[in-house]
Amino acid sequence: MGENDEALYAIADTCRQAAAGNLEARVPYLGESKAETEVRSAVNDLLDRTDAFVREAGAASAAGAAGHFYRRFLAGGMGGAYRRAAEEISRSGDAMSHNAEQIASAAESRIAFADQLESAVLALSEKIAAAAGEMGRSANGLAGFARSAVGDAERGLETVTELRRSSGQIRHAVDLINRVAMQTQLLSLNASIEAARAGAAGRGFSVVANEVKTLANETGESSGEIIDQVDAVQLASEDAVRVLKAVTDRIREMSGLIDGIAAAVDGDTVHETTGLSELAEVLRVEVQRFLTAARA
Amino acid sequence: MKTTQVRPTGQERKFSDGELIVTKTDTRGILTYANDVFLRISALDEEEAIGQPHNLIRHPDMPRAVFKLLWDTLKERREIFAYVVNLAADGAHYWVFAHVTPSFDDSGRVVGYHSNRRVPSRSAIAAADELYGVLRAAERRHDRAQEAVAAGYATLQRVLEERGRTYDELVWDLSTNGRTR
Ligand SMILES: Cc1cc2nc3c(=O)[nH]c(=O)nc-3n(C[C@H](O)[C@H](O)[C@H](O)COP(=O)(O)O)c2cc1C
Repeated sequence: MGENDEALYAIADTCRQAAAGNLEARVPYLGESKAETEVRSAVNDLLDRTDAFVREAGAASAAGAAGHFYRRFLAGGMGGAYRRAAEEISRSGDAMSHNAEQIASAAESRIAFADQLESAVLALSEKIAAAAGEMGRSANGLAGFARSAVGDAERGLETVTELRRSSGQIRHAVDLINRVAMQTQLLSLNASIEAARAGAAGRGFSVVANEVKTLANETGESSGEIIDQVDAVQLASEDAVRVLKAVTDRIREMSGLIDGIAAAVDGDTVHETTGLSELAEVLRVEVQRFLTAARA
Repeated sequence: MKTTQVRPTGQERKFSDGELIVTKTDTRGILTYANDVFLRISALDEEEAIGQPHNLIRHPDMPRAVFKLLWDTLKERREIFAYVVNLAADGAHYWVFAHVTPSFDDSGRVVGYHSNRRVPSRSAIAAADELYGVLRAAERRHDRAQEAVAAGYATLQRVLEERGRTYDELVWDLSTNGRTR
């Protein structure tokens, strides 16, 4: 056994500890000979570099996993296989960083898409809401218009019906006048005959009878004209009644259609349907909810 | 506590790209291990370093706020990176890009802290130096240590806010400066 045994055992002990993973162990002071100093320094240098490599490998990987890609693997002070492994780890860190950037840019474009979709849907739902509002107002205007048109037409119908009734009465009155005229004609004929029989004494009387006859004839003629007129009025008013009835029916139909439009726009509480304006809002809210999920 | 006050000479010391400056401390920041490179660059013997608090190499240019952030972060069991200028025992100074981490045992308990330091880029040193100048100026307006550290810390937060970066992001901005990934 040599005199260096104690020093060699000390080195062996340190190496065993390091082999077991205790990189805190270092070779203690062995003695002051050149060989003792050198072997201590060499073994400790080996341990320092291994220690440094292990700390770097652990910390650099942990930093990469945490997304701290700015933290590089420090290859300084590393040679040979240590350096090659260090560079390998650096490259995988770069790859991770690159992947992370790609993922980030994919996420960014997803967000950008979400933003675009959102503004498109917002613009659309605003337009729908505006159009629905416009339609609602127009439909209400039309409905009012249709109501007053029906009212007007009904009043027209009443007027025409009234006209028919009045012309009936006129006809009645004219019939009466006709009968009176006829009676007057007969009366004047009898008067003329009686005047002729009376001779010269009845001459003055016969002039009067002639006048009465002429008057009765004229009356009969003009009342015939009136009857013709009244007949024309009655025919025309029958036509007018037919037309007005058709018009009011059409307007009533139109009014129903307009109510349908208003219900589509504003919703219908009776049948519990959702209106267009409300649907636009529902669309906006649903898309917003989808986008919140997509952005998360 | 340091027994003698080292005066900075203004001389800068460098170490090479392939080297790592390594120290370990217990949970209070007392040095338990220092590698060859640390001892050489700091102009210290092993027995001068081990058992001493880590502020053994503290440079007066370092703002207090940075060390507050360092200890706050370690207490949260997280790693921290920092540009640090250290003062060697002979008065020279050296800039490092320090990575400080807790050391855990198998049950997940913090058993101490560890620091690996690497060579920083010149542009990172220049930027860190400028930032620390601003923090120092804020701290020097206060006599009491507590107020000074609060002022420096607030200034750091304001700088970060203006840049819209976290402290970690700022540190890595400097370290990747001029390099594309
Ligand atoms: C693992 C570890 C490494 C450290 N390295 C340094 C260092 O290189 N330089 C330094 O000034 N402080 C370092 N510190 C911080 C010191 O413990 C201390 O907080 C700092 O020097 C400020 O000291 P002060 O509060 O006495 O001013 C380190 C702390 C730990 C836990």
